Amino acid sequence: MSLVNLSHVCSHLNNACKARLAITSIPNSNLHLKLSHALQNSGYISSVIRGGPTPPPKHTILGTPTVSDGNAGVEPVTQDNVASRRLWLGLKYWQSEPVLGKMTMISKPTRRITIDVTGLRQVIRGEKYQTVEGLRSPGENLYLSTDRGIMEARECVEKQIGGLVLCRVQ
Amino acid sequence: MSLARPARCLFCSFSRAASAVPRVPRRQFHPSPPSLNSKPKPPNGPESELKSLYQISREMKQDDFQPYTEEEKAGLREVYTPEQIAAIEAGEAAIDPKDMADQFAFRTDPMKLRYLDDFSTIEPGVDKHVRAPVENTDYDAKMKTREDFVQDLAQYFMDMPEDASAGHFVRFLENVRVTRGKEENELNPHSALVPDFISPGESLTETGKVTKTIFTDAVQKRLGEDLTAAMKRLIQDTGYSEQHIRSLKTKALVTHRVVNQTRLGKIASTYSLAIAGNGRGLLGIGEAKSDELPDAKLQATYRAIRNMQPIPRYEHRTIYGDVTGKVGAVDLKLMNRPPGFGLRCQHLIFEMCRAAGIHDLAARVGRSRNPMNTVKAAYQALMSQRNPDDIARARGKKLVDVRKVYYSGRA
Repeated sequence: MSLVNLSHVCSHLNNACKARLAITSIPNSNLHLKLSHALQNSGYISSVIRGGPTPPPKHTILGTPTVSDGNAGVEPVTQDNVASRRLWLGLKYWQSEPVLGKMTMISKPTRRITIDVTGLRQVIRGEKYQTVEGLRSPGENLYLSTDRGIMEARECVEKQIGGLVLCRVQ
Repeated sequence: MSLARPARCLFCSFSRAASAVPRVPRRQFHPSPPSLNSKPKPPNGPESELKSLYQISREMKQDDFQPYTEEEKAGLREVYTPEQIAAIEAGEAAIDPKDMADQFAFRTDPMKLRYLDDFSTIEPGVDKHVRAPVENTDYDAKMKTREDFVQDLAQYFMDMPEDASAGHFVRFLENVRVTRGKEENELNPHSALVPDFISPGESLTETGKVTKTIFTDAVQKRLGEDLTAAMKRLIQDTGYSEQHIRSLKTKALVTHRVVNQTRLGKIASTYSLAIAGNGRGLLGIGEAKSDELPDAKLQATYRAIRNMQPIPRYEHRTIYGDVTGKVGAVDLKLMNRPPGFGLRCQHLIFEMCRAAGIHDLAARVGRSRNPMNTVKAAYQALMSQRNPDDIARARGKKLVDVRKVYYSGRA
């Protein structure tokens, strides 16, 4: 689990959103894929596709690349092409503003921060716990890496698990 | 607008009766009439009143199709020519009421109307309205002069009967014309414009009650004398009344002397930054520069009033989430707080919150604390609040205000 690469992903997504890009790519890794799916579940990004060095073709009707595209299809990952795979993320905008406002890392490559359920309860109530600031704005999310996958902070509290705090999305 | 029913009405019980007076115009947001039954039905009313359309069409009997009464015929004669009446009667005679009852059905084709109507009245918003003919227009019409009115009055006194009452004079005042030329041009003019559904002074809830504000010349004159040219322009631009403008919360927060260095020397003037708010969510800032301090303050205040914009307020007391603003080296953060917390922030932000109607807030002003930039940054921060509804729409998620749910919407 390289937090260096994850930090680069956060910065890259911030820059891509500011540039109003429709689709962008990040390096392929299981951590990135799981975080992307978590972001997609929260509605921050529209699509997550594992593709090659060039962007995957758009779906004829939806206008964005999709996994279940009957016509274009998605190239299967093999031992030969796995090194060249990238994750292609569809970015969302609403009223000319990016939906994915700003991603900031909480854990740093040199300092990993874990949090338990008691602390997480405080954080989602908007209170500060140790070095983790509370979620105080509407629509603010915190993603954690737990032993049951990457989850949003509120989901972690629901399932009574803590974990490594990855990043915050505003 | 015809008052008689043009054909035998099958839906009389559903449709509103045609009345002699025009219906009270009411803004409609859909093309169908607001209610088909004027009488509200009792929930456990008699069975006959709760029939469905299907039932009605099934239970239609021969007796339901009675020939026209004399009264109805008289009504028809007012609208139709004798030839048309003869044609209607021939048509009535040709169709057996038994067949009508047997074959009666409501239209189910795609072109059917979505509402029940007998077309006896012109519905505003649905029907093409009747315009006065173009011939009513008189291009040579002129306003009557004072002499003409004197003549009218003289005529009135000459025609006045022996037992004239106050009502007689009121009728004269109402009927006296103000233009010379064609009578129709003044009373029933042709207009290409769509008629107003709501006349001035009416509201959606209060139709028909037109409250007229009567300004006597004296009052108008006095108001006009008091106002400065700048205030008059402000009233014109904003549409607020003078009284409303005076009730706004305004304050000049920053004033200082500024100097322009020219080749002839230093030219000093005064700078002012003012805020204006209505205490109910509107806030604006304005800047001005002038030779004199009072003038700069006044200009800045008027500009602030012109710039007033709505600021989102959570529960009319605090802000949505924590927001940041940055202007120059001023980097500040405004934080929402629970009810009763108060305004715990520096004086400039305090004044802005008071003008905007924010009661619970905390603020940190970091790095520089330049007053001018602090006000601008605070304004920027307040305007950068994100509406939860927009966030929900953007992300396609349902966001629920837990506080509101907990207090069952009364928090």
